[in-house]
Amino acid sequence: MTGQRVLVVDDEPQILRALRATLRGAGYTVESAETAQGALTAAAAHPPEAVILDLVLPDGNGTDVCRELRSWSDAPVIVLSAVGEEKEKIAALDAGADDYVTKPFSVDELLARLRAVLRRRGAAQEPVIDVGEVRIDVAERIVTVAGKRVKLSPHEFDLLRVLAQNRGKLLTHRALLREVWGPAYEVEAHYLHVYVSHLRRKIEPDPASPRYLLTEPGAGYRLVDPASDDV
Amino acid sequence: MCRVKRRSRRDLLVGIAASIAAVAVVTAVIALVKQWVPVLSLGVLYVFAVLPIAVVWGLWLALPVSIASMLAFNWFFLPPVHTFTLANSENWFALAVYLATAVVVSELAARARRRAAAAEQREHESSLLAELATELLRGRELGDELGEIGTRTAGVLGVDNAQIELGAQRRPPPGTSPHLLEAADRTVGTIYVPAGSDPNVAARHRFLPALAALLAVAVDRDRLEREALEAEALRRSDLVKTALLRAVSHDLRSPLTGIRTAVGALRNPTLHLSNEDRLELLETIDLDSDRLSRLVGDLLDLSRLEAGGAAPEAEVWSLDDLVREAIDALDARDRVELAGEAPLVNVDATQIQRVLANLIENALKFSPPDARVHVRITATRKEAIVRVVDQGPGLAENELERVFEPFYRRGSDTRSGAGLGLAIARGFAAANGGRVWAESRPGQGATFALALPVVEVPAELQA
Repeated sequence: MTGQRVLVVDDEPQILRALRATLRGAGYTVESAETAQGALTAAAAHPPEAVILDLVLPDGNGTDVCRELRSWSDAPVIVLSAVGEEKEKIAALDAGADDYVTKPFSVDELLARLRAVLRRRGAAQEPVIDVGEVRIDVAERIVTVAGKRVKLSPHEFDLLRVLAQNRGKLLTHRALLREVWGPAYEVEAHYLHVYVSHLRRKIEPDPASPRYLLTEPGAGYRLVDPASDDV
Repeated sequence: MCRVKRRSRRDLLVGIAASIAAVAVVTAVIALVKQWVPVLSLGVLYVFAVLPIAVVWGLWLALPVSIASMLAFNWFFLPPVHTFTLANSENWFALAVYLATAVVVSELAARARRRAAAAEQREHESSLLAELATELLRGRELGDELGEIGTRTAGVLGVDNAQIELGAQRRPPPGTSPHLLEAADRTVGTIYVPAGSDPNVAARHRFLPALAALLAVAVDRDRLEREALEAEALRRSDLVKTALLRAVSHDLRSPLTGIRTAVGALRNPTLHLSNEDRLELLETIDLDSDRLSRLVGDLLDLSRLEAGGAAPEAEVWSLDDLVREAIDALDARDRVELAGEAPLVNVDATQIQRVLANLIENALKFSPPDARVHVRITATRKEAIVRVVDQGPGLAENELERVFEPFYRRGSDTRSGAGLGLAIARGFAAANGGRVWAESRPGQGATFALALPVVEVPAELQA
């Protein structure tokens, strides 16, 4: 097997076993670990191209693994979380995780998320980004929807640009606020909600049921191409 | 003089007898000493008859005693003797002085006596209040103390008995009259004294409000204590619910995740699964369904036990057979060593095997992989005890009871079980008249023990 290497970290042996078989079947090379320490060791020995990481580990939590991993690896991380672990999930995302799925997840969902994070990996800072019918010219600060120019305020534009540059990726409230408004505004979530609704009115065909700018309840936002399987 | 009215006939007779004796004794003494001392100056000795009577019985008896003294002095010693007439008019004056002295002294004595009685009464009241305050505030249950408080209050009020009832006044028991116990702005309760008895008015006005205030504090304290207990119970049941939610969230979700992932993979047409991977996925489904069904069974058992619905079907068994079957059910014959006696117990075999299996499984879980678990059966005439000894990390003192709480997990044990096994073991043991407990010294492994009542071996079965 010479597929992309994925590191799976979970302390439940049966879940680990099922994930290993599934990922092998999808053509990936699979490494696995059952503990936080084991995960870091495995990632150092055979640098993975993506990591699937359980939040609760016997010797630590996924957030710490995520933060540690981020300090020397840019492999995208998908967090496995359970209901009741929302705080830990947000913490992991803030610590650099790229996405999450909630247990029990569907295999299709997990594989789609994995494809999405791998596709984004190493994506260059393109001067022009296309997401479906929305085109963002980063250099000229021009946005068109289906070829028609829309006027955005500077903050609206920056918000859309950050989301587009991380297309498909879940961005936490904190991360978006920091990128667009600066670190001092990290906790002003209401700014964000207001600007997101402005932005939806300008780019969504039907702002009441968004298809581009999706809300992840309690976590953050992501920008997706409605025609792709980024979700 | 309500106290005079209440004096018993016996008290009266004793008083009169004492008075006569006192006058007689003083008269005799004067008769003895008059040959050496002028008789007129000896009259003052009658003060020694009047004074004790005044002190003990009061003016009402001291006055007749002083008149009797005067008459006796006149009759026996003042010329002409053996008449009540007096030759010398000086003697009339002397007698009048003696009488006045007797009256004044007895009045002073009586006053002192009354003061002493009042002081004694107050002292009695305040020491009773102080004792009650100490006892009630020390946390004695008020309800248990009311009878005792009633009896002692009766003593203070000078009635034969008294009965205290808390709360609003109801119809007084027949033959009693009620006095309200009122503190600040509310009626704390009622004290019933025998109808027709006459509680000391001053004591009633002084003592009952103080008693009421004290009872009010105790009532409030009891109520607060109850409320605190209820709040604590609520908090604990909240903790249990939270633990239940976490357990359900983790222990139901993990096997579900395994099953769902495996099924999703097997049904996904885009995956290219090797035969080996296919088998792995099937085994995941198999093991995780087992785990789910065990967990659901445990939860059902636990709720049945908590609802008291685990009626044992008892039969007589040899305890070692039950242990052996439990070991076999765990497929753990290689790792468990059984030794000891074979006492007979009258239990539900399925439930006790379950208890034993849970204890042994727990011991295996916390032992190093290659370590053996020792099971020993001992028996006294009354009790059979199975001890399951592991070589794990042991239990801290504060864990010895907590491990039996549902959903409690030892240490960093996140993987195995929902923390129900020991709770279920304890429940089934209790349903069969037995006990389960833990013994341990950290670093020396833990011992879990099951005690069951022993059955007498029927005579016809004895060898």
